[in-house]
Amino acid sequence: MPVPFIMPKFDMDQEDATIASWEKKEGDFVKAEETVLIVETSKVAIDVPAPATGTLAGILFRQGDTVPVTTVIAYILKEGESAADLPKQAAIPHETASANATVPEQAAATVVPAVTPIAARLAKEKGVDLSKVPASGERITREDVEQYLTASTVPNAKPGPNSRMAIPATPAARRLARETGVSLESIQGSGPRGRVQAADVSSGKPARRAVTPTRGDRTAQVVPLAGMRKKIAERMTASFHDIPHISLMVEADAGALEDARVVLNEMAEAEGGAKISLTALLVKIVAWALERNPYLNASLDDDQIQLWQDANIGVATALPDGLIVPVIKRANRQTICEIAAALADLSGRARDGKLTLPDVQGGTFTISNLGMYGIHQFRAVINPPESAILAVGAVVRKPVVINEQDEIAVRPMLTLTLAADHRVIDGAVAARFLADLVQAIEAPASLLY
Amino acid sequence: MPSGKLGAGVTNEVKKMVVEEAGDDLRARADRLQLSDEQLVEMFRTMCEIRHFEYMADKLYAMGKVHGTMHLSAGQEAVAVGTARAVHVDDYLINHHRGHGHFIAKGADIKLMMAEFLGKDTGYCRGRGGSMHIADFSSNSLGANGIVGAGIPQAVGVGLALQMQKSKQIVLAIFGDGAANEGVFHEALNMVALWKLPVLYVCENNKYGMSMDIERAAAKLPIAQRAESYGMPWYCIDGNDILTVYDTMKTAAESARSGQPVLVETLTYRYFGHSKSDRNLYRSKAEIEEWHERRDPIKRFEAKLTQAGIMDEALARKIDDDALAAIDEAVAFAEASPDPDPSSLTEFVYA
Amino acid sequence: MPEITYLEAVRQALWEEMKRDDRVFLLGEDIGRYGGAFGVTHGMLDEFGPERVRETPISEATIVATAIGASMLGMRPVAEIMFMDFIYLALDQLVNQAAKMRFMFGGRTTVPIVLRMPGGSGTGAAAQHSQSIESMFMHFPGLKVVNPSTPKDAKGLLLTAIRDPNPVVFVEHKLLYKTKGQVPEGEYTIPFGVAEIKRPGKDLTLVANNVMVMRSLAVAERLAKEGIDVEVIDPRTLLPLDTETIIESVIKTGRLLVVHEACQTGGWAGEVIASVTGSRAFDYLDAPVRRLAGKDVPIPYNRLLERAAVPQEEDIECEIRAIVTGKY
Repeated sequence: MPVPFIMPKFDMDQEDATIASWEKKEGDFVKAEETVLIVETSKVAIDVPAPATGTLAGILFRQGDTVPVTTVIAYILKEGESAADLPKQAAIPHETASANATVPEQAAATVVPAVTPIAARLAKEKGVDLSKVPASGERITREDVEQYLTASTVPNAKPGPNSRMAIPATPAARRLARETGVSLESIQGSGPRGRVQAADVSSGKPARRAVTPTRGDRTAQVVPLAGMRKKIAERMTASFHDIPHISLMVEADAGALEDARVVLNEMAEAEGGAKISLTALLVKIVAWALERNPYLNASLDDDQIQLWQDANIGVATALPDGLIVPVIKRANRQTICEIAAALADLSGRARDGKLTLPDVQGGTFTISNLGMYGIHQFRAVINPPESAILAVGAVVRKPVVINEQDEIAVRPMLTLTLAADHRVIDGAVAARFLADLVQAIEAPASLLY
Repeated sequence: MPSGKLGAGVTNEVKKMVVEEAGDDLRARADRLQLSDEQLVEMFRTMCEIRHFEYMADKLYAMGKVHGTMHLSAGQEAVAVGTARAVHVDDYLINHHRGHGHFIAKGADIKLMMAEFLGKDTGYCRGRGGSMHIADFSSNSLGANGIVGAGIPQAVGVGLALQMQKSKQIVLAIFGDGAANEGVFHEALNMVALWKLPVLYVCENNKYGMSMDIERAAAKLPIAQRAESYGMPWYCIDGNDILTVYDTMKTAAESARSGQPVLVETLTYRYFGHSKSDRNLYRSKAEIEEWHERRDPIKRFEAKLTQAGIMDEALARKIDDDALAAIDEAVAFAEASPDPDPSSLTEFVYA
Repeated sequence: MPEITYLEAVRQALWEEMKRDDRVFLLGEDIGRYGGAFGVTHGMLDEFGPERVRETPISEATIVATAIGASMLGMRPVAEIMFMDFIYLALDQLVNQAAKMRFMFGGRTTVPIVLRMPGGSGTGAAAQHSQSIESMFMHFPGLKVVNPSTPKDAKGLLLTAIRDPNPVVFVEHKLLYKTKGQVPEGEYTIPFGVAEIKRPGKDLTLVANNVMVMRSLAVAERLAKEGIDVEVIDPRTLLPLDTETIIESVIKTGRLLVVHEACQTGGWAGEVIASVTGSRAFDYLDAPVRRLAGKDVPIPYNRLLERAAVPQEEDIECEIRAIVTGKY
């Protein structure tokens, strides 16, 4: 029997090798251990020795062919043996091999689409013709077959019965609901973000009821706590509960500021710019003061205080059914005209309900102005994760002592009330901030022009 | 006296490796060493068996029958057999990753070795270890190690246990030239010398790590002279002359047995590359041929045995054939053996 | 029952086992006249002699390797690694050798060694003498990882460790050495893989190890006065890990908090949480499962920083309140 000459395995992770060159040809006499061909793997080129002494015959693969390890690539005929002793399949390629330069047809004909074993099995099970399956990479993978199957059945695809409920609930609540046949949708969750807890199910608290509740002889129209209202409720409760608020109040003479506003508006009108409101002026002044007082422009996050570089000032804006706080980004780097334009844009879009998420995110400080409603002064609740909020009242003309001689004059007075997170901001720090504000309001020229 | 150099007191004059051809008069040496003809022939037979085992391993690997890797010791047979015959059969052995020869020399069953090599359930390690982790606790072979040098400090513990148990056994711990550059080599030599443990360290210097020539890896040679720092006697000998190995190991083993540990460096050569993908770019064909033709341990021993009239060509041929037949039988046993059952996967993680 | 310190409990176990079994011996750095870095082996040299209280050079890799070699010949070595952080020097011997030998040799040998090692912060020993790396050892099949929190557990578990045929990493905590507790009289052992409910409760399951057990129990007692009833479980051995006791507890309480000093990322809390949430206890969870662990920093030197790096009682209290009041 001729000795089979196999593609040897060299390496632990080696699956095949490419024939770089045959150093001996069909019919050559070779000695055992003598180099017959050179093969290449991804790592190296290797001399492959003859497995036995004899005549090289029945070469099955050519230069450039990549052959899996342990595949028979040729035979060694021992003394007295001839080509007739070769196993059958060795004979045909032997013909082509001797015709040297052409690529053997035989090899090309036996090429099957490269396919992973799992993909092949799946294709067989599902009766898929692999030649019709496009391969995503070098080989057809299971995913390719699955994709092919999906693509051919998509028109009939329907959402399964198990589409997940989008109701937040703990696993225990889900189990209880399942066991008691209660629909989670009928239950008001008491957990964070409205999550249904086990207790909500077991207490059978039927929430989201649409009936009108009565309390004694009073009746009420029920407004579901939902959407924006719910969000506000949650945020304000959390803020009031978690943040130790301190508040400081100060009065400023707004005369110079009102004068400045008149001048600026004349300029703006001439240039076709936006009208400059008192709020816009205050945004500018606050932004300047925040730069001087970084702890007012900060967030407390677990165990660290983040002092923000830029002052992103939110301006609380009333809506028919709630409140929204659009943010003027980097107010400290903007001119008064730019701020006024941004404010006009934001408040306009707020009323039209066209604010986008980025418009209301990233605030570092909030101004709430109720002056237009005639409110003299009020205290606001901090808008987390910010650390302070400035409540602005109406400009009220009233008698004040204007100098050290105790002379009294009627001046346009503005009351500012600061609420600050006492964990981050000490009283004196807050006071310095307010003092800066007063100074800028009373002498705004350098800031505004 | 061994033909190698005794290290005690020797320092500056040993500048390079000592490769010393043993005297030609085999008969006289054998008599002095009290080795019978039968013993000499048995040593030759075992060397042949190791050689065939390694070539068969290489063949099985090329045939894709071996799942993992292997490190072959063909060319180093004299160290394995010469050492194993110089110590007592119940002495302990801590082996290294190129350790087939030492196991065979120590008397391991080549059937079980081959079965382990093919990953079979009948193998020494039930197919869990493979070539690199063969162990035979029944013959006091404490296992081969896949981490270079890791067995060196374990010999401290074996030696300590032997000392505490007042045993007369010693532990033979074998490692390569590369392992001598691991930090634990120094920790361990210090401790065996300090505690006077019955340990015989054998540094099997086959000249290369994977491809790193020891001349490029060690600041000072021979490696064995490092023992001097720890007050240990040392030898650096021709590891391809089996009687030199035997002679030296006898002396060294008795020293270890009496509580004076020793380090012996044996200069030898591996024929195969580190693995099959090794193209031998770091060594010349001429060098490989030189060792094959002029320094082969089996050829040298065979020539001397024939010359001394202990063995004729026909006997040599028969011994070689028998050895090959034994290997064939081992392969047949291994191939017929079952694979381990995957349901037994987690067995042996814990006792 | 007599009251002794954790340190005395460890010493008693070593002492009694060496009296009982000739094969047991100690090895390590400065364990002789000095008595070990923390004094655990104080007095043992005089009692057992230098052969069985064997002091070694500063060679951690070879200390572990020596234990391995001796154990394969039937000895029962107990090695002291002076600080847990030093085990890194010997990781090859522990992980590649001790843990794998029985398996890779097809079950034909055992490696019955015990490596005692004090870990943990709180002593100002800084980054290289304070780490808690018990989680790491859980990743090596073949090892057992023991981590007692009380003198009673320390003694009973150490006796089990020495008698166990497998390599055991026995983690002590420096801050526990001086703590006192009642220890049963006479010989007793505590099996591996059995957690202990240190305090029963119904509102939340808190799983903690070593010094965190003490802190958690103190917090639990305070909160009990407010009606928050915390169940504190000490797994005692991390490998094997008694997940069953924890799962049963979570089914009862519906809430789980795991507290450990080891760094959070890759810490054993993740293992406990995955086991619980992947079990039948899932259907009983009524709050997000939480872990409170050491910060992902090396242990700093400064007292305030060191304190901030690992969970303190107030952190544990805060976390329990948050879970029980539904803040997460």
